Amino acid sequence: MKPPPFAYLAAGSLDEAISALAAGDGEARLLAGGQSLMPMLNFRLLQPGLLISLNRIPGLGGITENGGGLRIGALTRHAELERSPLVARHFPVLGAAMEHVAHLAIRNRGTIGGSLCHADPAAELPMLMCLLDAGITAQGPAGERTLAAAEFFLGALTTALAEDEIVTAIELPALAEGCGWGFEEMARRSGDFALAGAAAIISLTGDRVSEARLAVMGAHPTPLRVAAAEALLRDQTIDEDTVRAAAEAAAAAVEPDNDLHASADYRRHLIGVLTARVLRAALRRAQGETP
Amino acid sequence: MEIEVRPGLIGARVQRLEDPRLLTGHGTYVDDLQLPGTLHLAFRRSDHGHARIIAIDTEEAAAMPGVAAVVTAADIADGVKPYRATSRMPDYHPTTLPVLAADKVRYVGEPVVAVLAENRYLAEDAAEQVAIDYDPLPTVIDPEAAAQPGAPVLHEEIGSNVILSRSFSRGDVEAALAGAPVRVAGRFRMHRKTPAAMENRAYLADYDQGRRALTLYSSTQVPGIVRDSLAEILDIPGNRLRVIAPDVGGGFGGKTPLYGEEVLVCHLARKLGRPVKWCADRLEDLTTTSQAFDEIVEAELACDGDGTILGLRAEVIGDIGAYSIYPYTAALEPVQVISFLPGPYRVPSYHGAVKGVATSKALTGAYRGVGRPISTFAMERLVDMAARELSLDPLEMRRRNMVRAEEFPYKTPVGLVWDRAGFMECLDGAAAAADYDGLRAEQARARADGRWFGIGLASYAELTGLGSRISAAPGMPVNTGTETASIRIDATGAVTAAFGIASHGQGLETTLAQVVAEELGVRVEDVEVVHGDSDAVAHSTGTYASRSTILAGGAATLSARALRQQVVEAAAHLLEAAQADIEVADGAIRVAGTDRAMSFPELAKAVFVEMGRLPRELREQVDLQVTKTYDPYFGTTAPATHLAVVEIDPETYRVAIRRYVVAEDCGRIINPMIADGQVHGGVAQGIGAALYEEVVYDDEGQILTASLVDYLVPTAAEIPEMEVLHLEIETEANIGGFRGLGEGGTIGAPAALANAVTDALAPLGIDIDELPVTPDRLFRLIREANKDEN
Repeated sequence: MKPPPFAYLAAGSLDEAISALAAGDGEARLLAGGQSLMPMLNFRLLQPGLLISLNRIPGLGGITENGGGLRIGALTRHAELERSPLVARHFPVLGAAMEHVAHLAIRNRGTIGGSLCHADPAAELPMLMCLLDAGITAQGPAGERTLAAAEFFLGALTTALAEDEIVTAIELPALAEGCGWGFEEMARRSGDFALAGAAAIISLTGDRVSEARLAVMGAHPTPLRVAAAEALLRDQTIDEDTVRAAAEAAAAAVEPDNDLHASADYRRHLIGVLTARVLRAALRRAQGETP
Repeated sequence: MEIEVRPGLIGARVQRLEDPRLLTGHGTYVDDLQLPGTLHLAFRRSDHGHARIIAIDTEEAAAMPGVAAVVTAADIADGVKPYRATSRMPDYHPTTLPVLAADKVRYVGEPVVAVLAENRYLAEDAAEQVAIDYDPLPTVIDPEAAAQPGAPVLHEEIGSNVILSRSFSRGDVEAALAGAPVRVAGRFRMHRKTPAAMENRAYLADYDQGRRALTLYSSTQVPGIVRDSLAEILDIPGNRLRVIAPDVGGGFGGKTPLYGEEVLVCHLARKLGRPVKWCADRLEDLTTTSQAFDEIVEAELACDGDGTILGLRAEVIGDIGAYSIYPYTAALEPVQVISFLPGPYRVPSYHGAVKGVATSKALTGAYRGVGRPISTFAMERLVDMAARELSLDPLEMRRRNMVRAEEFPYKTPVGLVWDRAGFMECLDGAAAAADYDGLRAEQARARADGRWFGIGLASYAELTGLGSRISAAPGMPVNTGTETASIRIDATGAVTAAFGIASHGQGLETTLAQVVAEELGVRVEDVEVVHGDSDAVAHSTGTYASRSTILAGGAATLSARALRQQVVEAAAHLLEAAQADIEVADGAIRVAGTDRAMSFPELAKAVFVEMGRLPRELREQVDLQVTKTYDPYFGTTAPATHLAVVEIDPETYRVAIRRYVVAEDCGRIINPMIADGQVHGGVAQGIGAALYEEVVYDDEGQILTASLVDYLVPTAAEIPEMEVLHLEIETEANIGGFRGLGEGGTIGAPAALANAVTDALAPLGIDIDELPVTPDRLFRLIREANKDEN
């Protein structure tokens, strides 16, 4: 479990990283927190000619307020998201979910940009970006562009990012005042990849739902916003029947695989169970209660 | 559970003497040893479950930078004698263990080519360039299919994959079953587990050309067995072959065999004249360290109308992996399953039969509990099933059948003898500590609310600290029944106690120091315990099978008592007093009732250094060093009852352990904190077996659980608080009155949890007969149960 030989560049600027990536001609890989890349190197699943570390590039990390939302630098660590008062104020679901990401040592190194680019279907941040309608900003030789999270994740470990692009920041637009949220996942052990997970945002006008968002993970090649479930909730007064109908819609929407830790049927079952739980929690929070 | 601190060092809550070293990073593990000129070994291992080796091309690898040698089976034939695990057991067929595969590979991970290079990185780069041409053969994965005639055979010279068969019988079990009012039967499956010690296996061999002497630093539990085996395999006498186990980060049985890598580093160091090091990475550990617990038990229990057990019948298949492990043989675990299946109960008629079947998987060997976790799982499930048939509470069912105090010594159906031990005391102790009746009432309320709340009991008895009358493994030609202690007071007055056992987490540096200190009359911190070194004593087999406290503790007691007698003799002369008036305590030697006294350094100086202080006859008699060997001859019984309370989420099927109570009889406790720790660690591994851990091979023999992301060892977050009740029932089975307690936690926990989960699911009528009971398995069982109901 030793990595194959590779060259190493600690890029001092984004331009240097972009140039090196382009010059690498498909043989170069970007190193951010290294929490997925290093194990893959040690298993020799990847044999890149060049590793370009982004860790010394100034300005690539940090969380700042932007309009009513947040701008999160790609090099921001999971632990910073977990502890950030700005995240807690604007997107409490994001901060609360971070404690489910692996273990403390991994959260101290792992980055939001790295997690999104790795695009593990059971990872929390990709699902949360879909839930929060994030814009993912990337730079390459051709300049800068921003991709909607919903278009970013193409498949398991596959994104819409071009080979020569580097994710630099994530833009999270403001949520409606007073909205409620829910997050749940089921993992075999504390810190394991989730067998399935779900997150929801609900805003109420009076007792009717003005906005409902539902995202699920771990049971589909990509994180998924479940439009069918959201449609069932929108403009409705939520009761247990609506919750169950939305849960069924979510379970029907996913296409899980069988693997070592769970069968497809069990994952689908969990999506239904967890969807119902996050909707109930989000509703209660939107009603000003503590779930 | 508060333990009363008694006067004296045995029984005292002494902080572990090894902890300051280990916890501050000052321990020395094999990989910490850096010898100049060391070559590093990496392997090209089989990626086939079963294949013939057609050709091996090492040319490109040998030409890689930093590579010193590329070695195949053909290259080592001159210096390594073939070896295999023999046994006196009939119906057993040994398998020759290749250090490097020659003609065939029989599991994924089997070493085929060894590459030596200046560092591990270069060695792995070169190993990747070795080309091996295989002719794939059909794999043998399912042990039941593998036992059938016509199945592909792994070892042609045996002609069958069934490499061992054994059975035990007492009474007429067929008649007992035929006439019994209540019969319950099940097919119980426990899945393959791996020890997953924190420190992977690691070996460093250093050959001294001048002395023609070899030193092996090995993360082994058994330096003496490794030394004795290597002496034969490599043809080096024991006085020029030393095996040192420095600090070792856990073993759990996985470091009890002799491994091919261990042989190879020694051979290559001798051949090349440079130190050779190999440290397994986690991938190698998970694919090649000995695995265990892979048995299928089909069993039937017959009872009278009042619950009295009438008979037990069992057929067991053990999936032993590709070879019979050295030196214990593949019979070790499967035979123990049928040896211990009757449990702590009166079973008047019994028939147990076992087959050990070779498969295209890593070897199996000892793992904490050896066989008893499986036998206890099967028997305790049957006892609960019978209780349910009879509408009897599981606690009462056990009370009615457990061997009672007046029935000891009790001979089990397989001929083992239980000495007086606290069987019933443990059962009652666990029930009382847990407030069993209160729990049942709580369960009734929980069930009324639709909650899945379960209570599980598991009782067992095991035989620990085996003496020379009983082999640790059936028919094994190695005496595992004695241990030696060599204790000396040197010329400075310092006390050193040397043992052949090898502590690798058990805290034996502390517990043995407590025994020596108490018997000799010094302070615990005055005793330096030497262990894990084949040179420490003439013969030892190491630390495994819950033996070190009883055997090494016994040897320490004998040696320390004899040494104290020497101290008394010398002091009586030096202090001009009668021997009967000499008191030795806390490192001081006094004449009772006077102020005449001397210290150990003063005594040592008088004995060794100062001419004329002792008369000539006394000088030859009192050399302040004693070596004694202890043989408990039989074994010492150690029973326990575990009680688990679980609650299952009726939607996600997550199993939460609400309470965990252990009442165990470990005889005289040396150190209550260490006793607690042994139980905690054992239960944690039992929880792993019950809920999380499973080695999975696919049909091609590929191992799917080759990382700790996929092989799930429970973490601290998954382990509940435990309530541990130690019952110190006196025993005369060994000199110290101790009972082994290293393995019990792992023996009781799978059964207790299986019974608790079954109890929680009683409203659905689900029986847990397969472990680990993962959420996905529960999902399938519950779905089936709901289907049946609709």
